Amino acid sequence: MELNNTEKKEICSFDKNIVRNILVAKPDKYKLLETISHRNREIINTGSSLSYSPLSFGEDIICLDFKKFNRILDFNKNEKTITVEAGITLIQFLNFTLKHNFWIPQLPGYPSITLGGAIATNAHGKSCSTHGTIRNSIKSILLFHKINGWMNLSEKENKEIFDLTIGGLGLTGTIVKITFNLTNIENTLFITKKKKIKSVEECNKVISNYNNSSYFYSWHKADNIKNFGEGIIFENIIDKKKIIDFKGFKDKNYKLKPFLFPVWNKLSIKLCNLLYLYLNRLSTEEKTESFLKVIFPFYSKESYFNFFGNNGFTESQLLISESKINDFMSEFKNIFKIHKPTITLFSLKKMSGEQSYLRFEDNKVCLTFDLIKNNSSNNFMNEIDNLCLKYQILPSIIKDSRIPKNIFDKTYRYANDFREKLNKFDKKRVYKSEVSKRLEL
Amino acid sequence: MSYLIIGASSGLGRALAEKFAKEKKNLIIVSRDERDLTALKADIEIKYNVKVEKIPLDFSSFNEINQKLLKEKMFQNLSGILFPVGFMHEKDNFDISEEDLKKLTFTNYLSIVHTINYARKCLNKQKLSIVGFGSVSGLIGRNLNMNYAAAKRSLESFFESMSFDEKLKDMNIQFYTLGYLDTNLAFGKDLILPKGSTQKLAKIVYQNINVNLKKTFYPYFWNIIAVFLKLLPFLFLIKLYKILIK
Repeated sequence: MELNNTEKKEICSFDKNIVRNILVAKPDKYKLLETISHRNREIINTGSSLSYSPLSFGEDIICLDFKKFNRILDFNKNEKTITVEAGITLIQFLNFTLKHNFWIPQLPGYPSITLGGAIATNAHGKSCSTHGTIRNSIKSILLFHKINGWMNLSEKENKEIFDLTIGGLGLTGTIVKITFNLTNIENTLFITKKKKIKSVEECNKVISNYNNSSYFYSWHKADNIKNFGEGIIFENIIDKKKIIDFKGFKDKNYKLKPFLFPVWNKLSIKLCNLLYLYLNRLSTEEKTESFLKVIFPFYSKESYFNFFGNNGFTESQLLISESKINDFMSEFKNIFKIHKPTITLFSLKKMSGEQSYLRFEDNKVCLTFDLIKNNSSNNFMNEIDNLCLKYQILPSIIKDSRIPKNIFDKTYRYANDFREKLNKFDKKRVYKSEVSKRLEL
Repeated sequence: MSYLIIGASSGLGRALAEKFAKEKKNLIIVSRDERDLTALKADIEIKYNVKVEKIPLDFSSFNEINQKLLKEKMFQNLSGILFPVGFMHEKDNFDISEEDLKKLTFTNYLSIVHTINYARKCLNKQKLSIVGFGSVSGLIGRNLNMNYAAAKRSLESFFESMSFDEKLKDMNIQFYTLGYLDTNLAFGKDLILPKGSTQKLAKIVYQNINVNLKKTFYPYFWNIIAVFLKLLPFLFLIKLYKILIK
């Protein structure tokens, strides 16, 4: 039967900044995907609805929940390729590939994210300095577009749409199938090494000298101007000695549900940061850690997000040239002194790639920080927007649901290129979201 | 030996295919759209290392069933046939078109009976399990899904009749009357009672597959509701329904 059932529900972005009443349809057959798409004027695809920004919903836009399209369609061990439907989650995907000692290294940080969502956002993982973004693992895509129909996309076929689709926020159509080039992984255990550092500037110096294939990122205390940036660099290396058999991950369905009242405030953050810093200083400098703990650091630590309460938070991710970090940090600290925002997390990692269209990638340093949402953090972030212009920094539109159009237009050099090509491909602009409306894409 | 699943591409059918494949049973899967069958076949063959044959056909057409499905050799190598198949129509009332009425009656009743009758003739020393799925909508006639409910009630009656079949020693007959399940059919519906899980039901069906005779409701609480509905006079139920609708 092909009933076009829809569900009305209230949905909010992961950072809790945007709330909308929307209509969701959940196709479970190819024909139904076509029927629902043809019956609705404006559409957007939704995977696990874990985007910080409202990328997967919008007012008066039908949301296509793609979770039922989660099958493995082809696996070629010799050619190291796999074809999957786009609604498959990372944990479902890894439960299959890791049994065969394969994976893709560009995995975003939570296991219930779908691969379709990872492609639409051109996701990256911790090893982005070595492996870049997920774009590097994609061989081909099967796209369904309400007007343009079914299209095979790859470097050889419909290349322009292929490029628009990866990191295209789902605006080119519904990503239905993806073929990935797989990478070997010898073990699912990692060795984690720690290095203490005094400041963000010192961290930048240290990580700019790393050039091996390990995964590294830093954590910094950013709750006080005194000792701002004191922290730890974590380096994860695949353990090639203590090889274990992969037995599969159980999806434990941890709850991502905000507490009724916020737990995070200046005092609780200060205490937690101190505790975290000293526990890490006291523990051994090298230890063995599981795959889940390394690749999905917030899995089983959902309380971090829940503690923001219903008010939510703001996450900012910025790509900055190595040479500009010191000057940027100096100004960052100055405005921090003025506005006194509560920063709950501050981290750095290196990234590699080539920026184009809406893609958040470049050969730069990626700086991430979370803030409790209030007036001081809003004022602080407005100043950060100006610093983005001054230092030619690329802010992530996937993480920060607040970035205004004028800042986006000035920081994303290829935004107009994207608009023009998208409008040429889809003159009626069928696929839209709250973000695409705000940024006039 | 294989299990034949009619209507395997989504909802309960897909859950049954996945469960039986996980238990290393070879499958023959039937559905209308080849794309859904191809995806399901690939997925379960890759994950569970079983053999899956796909037969795309329109189960409301006797012609297609006769040509593509009813093959003696295949039926003689079956361990079971499962019918998680169903067709509903948005305007299933007195004004339904002739074509849609045929489609509803054939898919939900006549084609199932036709297939079972053929399977019965092909029995070749094997023990064959036949699993049918009805609907609680068949408990009482209403002004909703009129013909669907009638077909499902007929199907239930047919399965009851099979229990008196002289060939019962060669067959396991099971019939599940279903309330709302967590499928696309119930998606977005404002329901008073909770939906049943297709995966749990698939597990139950697999566990009972070798039981000689089985007739139950799923979710189980419908067993109690059904008793009450059958005890109450029909005229009273109509009045109650009208009050509730108002």
